[in-house]
Amino acid sequence: MEPDVIDQVTASVRQGLIPAYLYNDAEVHELERARLFGRAWTFLAHESEIARPNDYVVRNIGDDSFLVTRDGDGQIHVMFNMCVHRGMQVCRAERGNARTFRCPYHAWTYKNDGQLAGLPFHVDAYGGEDGFIKEGQALLRAPSVATRNGMIFASLDPDAPDFETWLGDFAFYLDFYTGQSEAGMEFRGPQRWRVEANWKIGAENFMGDSYHTPHTHASVVDIELFGEPKPYKRKEGVLWNAGPAGGTTYKLPPGSDFRSGLAYVGYPDEMIDRMQHKLSGAQRALATEPGFMPSASTLFPNLSFVHNWPQTDADGRITPFISVRLWQPVGPGETEVYSWFCVAADAPEDYKAASYKAYLMCFGSSGMFEQDDVENWVSITTMAKGSMARNLLLNNRMGLTLDGEPIVGQFADFGGPGTAYQGFGEHNQRHWFSMWADLVSQPAPAREPIAFGMGETPA
Amino acid sequence: MSTARSGAPLPYSDPRHQSAEQFLVEEAHLLDTSDFEAWLGLMHPQIRYRMPVRVTAVKATDEAEVQTMDHFDEDWYSLSKRVQRFGTDYAWTEDPQSRIRHHVSNVRTFDGDDGELVVESAVLLYRSRGDRMAPSLLSAGRRDVLVSTPDGLRLRSRDIEIDESVLRTQNLAIFL
Repeated sequence: MEPDVIDQVTASVRQGLIPAYLYNDAEVHELERARLFGRAWTFLAHESEIARPNDYVVRNIGDDSFLVTRDGDGQIHVMFNMCVHRGMQVCRAERGNARTFRCPYHAWTYKNDGQLAGLPFHVDAYGGEDGFIKEGQALLRAPSVATRNGMIFASLDPDAPDFETWLGDFAFYLDFYTGQSEAGMEFRGPQRWRVEANWKIGAENFMGDSYHTPHTHASVVDIELFGEPKPYKRKEGVLWNAGPAGGTTYKLPPGSDFRSGLAYVGYPDEMIDRMQHKLSGAQRALATEPGFMPSASTLFPNLSFVHNWPQTDADGRITPFISVRLWQPVGPGETEVYSWFCVAADAPEDYKAASYKAYLMCFGSSGMFEQDDVENWVSITTMAKGSMARNLLLNNRMGLTLDGEPIVGQFADFGGPGTAYQGFGEHNQRHWFSMWADLVSQPAPAREPIAFGMGETPA
Repeated sequence: MSTARSGAPLPYSDPRHQSAEQFLVEEAHLLDTSDFEAWLGLMHPQIRYRMPVRVTAVKATDEAEVQTMDHFDEDWYSLSKRVQRFGTDYAWTEDPQSRIRHHVSNVRTFDGDDGELVVESAVLLYRSRGDRMAPSLLSAGRRDVLVSTPDGLRLRSRDIEIDESVLRTQNLAIFL
């Protein structure tokens, strides 16, 4: 993409006008691959997925496959899953338990901390250390790795910003999803499926599109699966954005406090006790009159969260669930969705079962909310491919006057950090696109060539 | 109720096999013609309908040990909600409807516990949506437990072994 085109596009999205073709264009995809996913902090896995010594999972950032392991001592490692000899994918399973990984091509063998342990005929073939310095060699490490609430993130940029600094005030909200208990969370899954939709659409939607809920999801209200998305209730919610993230909330009943708010959405007392202990006074105040309960959110670029509380049995039991999901770009018009179910590790078993059921009914590959979302996103992506979409600017300015002033002021009584607006608006989607513009307008980070076995130990 | 089966498959000439196979064919017909209410009527009130997420694991690993998740894990309540949803005016993902066809084959019937029948089958679901997307295919094996009731056979449990770890269909707004 030419620099002047990039300048035009980024200026346009910052004004809330989105060139429609951004949702299905090979050059935009390439720009995002190099500049955005080449730099951004991206979620890989949760520690509970590799709970035992020697557990591993294989996950992607863009086209790059990474081995995420826990070694025999419990240390976690994130390594590029490519044999440093001839480039074979070292581990071709997606999860399991192994102390070592042997490349199927020439049997180079790596310990699960990445160290090269076996190199057949090292002396015969290479003349030993005179030809290939085996000592200290290892699979290439993910350039930057960080962990928060057991969630493992990586960046392909060795000079990535400090993770905690970057996360900023989103940490406050993240705890409502994955910081509910000192015992940590259990992640189950993921379900994985591919949709012919651009990855940006889901990320934007979860970040702040409370406006679609009453219509797109009318069917789940109609069948009394989930009562909250009624239009008047959705409009009472606050949209917040904080740090590199934003999200939606539902207004709790008048007079709510932390305990009654959590009970209203279906948490049992013992879980509320633990959350009361775990969360700070400021966090607890979010649910205090005027109280709000976090629902969907997105952490830029492609990690989303959802927290809803549907009816899970014929007797009317309300049970909340939490899901984490990754929108992994596969191509300009295709996304692989990874969707996990999350629950506090020390939650009562009957709660875990009901919450899991709530998740399966509502979200994920078979979820009754999700089904209608994907239908829309596939359609947008299909439409974005044509000629007419090249000069159509989609309006992403809800909540602003033509002069760029908010139609309502910030909601001053909101208990959380960042900016908050009550009612419908595309404030968060604009925030997402301003971060997108920040990254795609900067050249990709420079990377030095790394040679193996030639006498230097890679960092 | 268990999905344990005993002995060799019943011969094709056995009326129990014939009634089981006819059940599956008639069930597929109801799904292919969107008669979901009638399909729900074939479910036993204690139905368990499950489709685990398949995991790509090394051969030495028992896949069941690394499975942590399902695409479906349904009881009568949740199946009835899914059916009810298709009946609303707002189930956009199936309006316009997909053109679908369940191809059922490889039916093997076994004696189960307490007079139940354990029935294994293969199903290939062809799904065509709209006029722009390529059709999708879902291939799966199924293990069903059928029980006799005064109203005929009813599905007591279904375990679906889907033949993909990453689904290539936009959602599971379908039944297998």
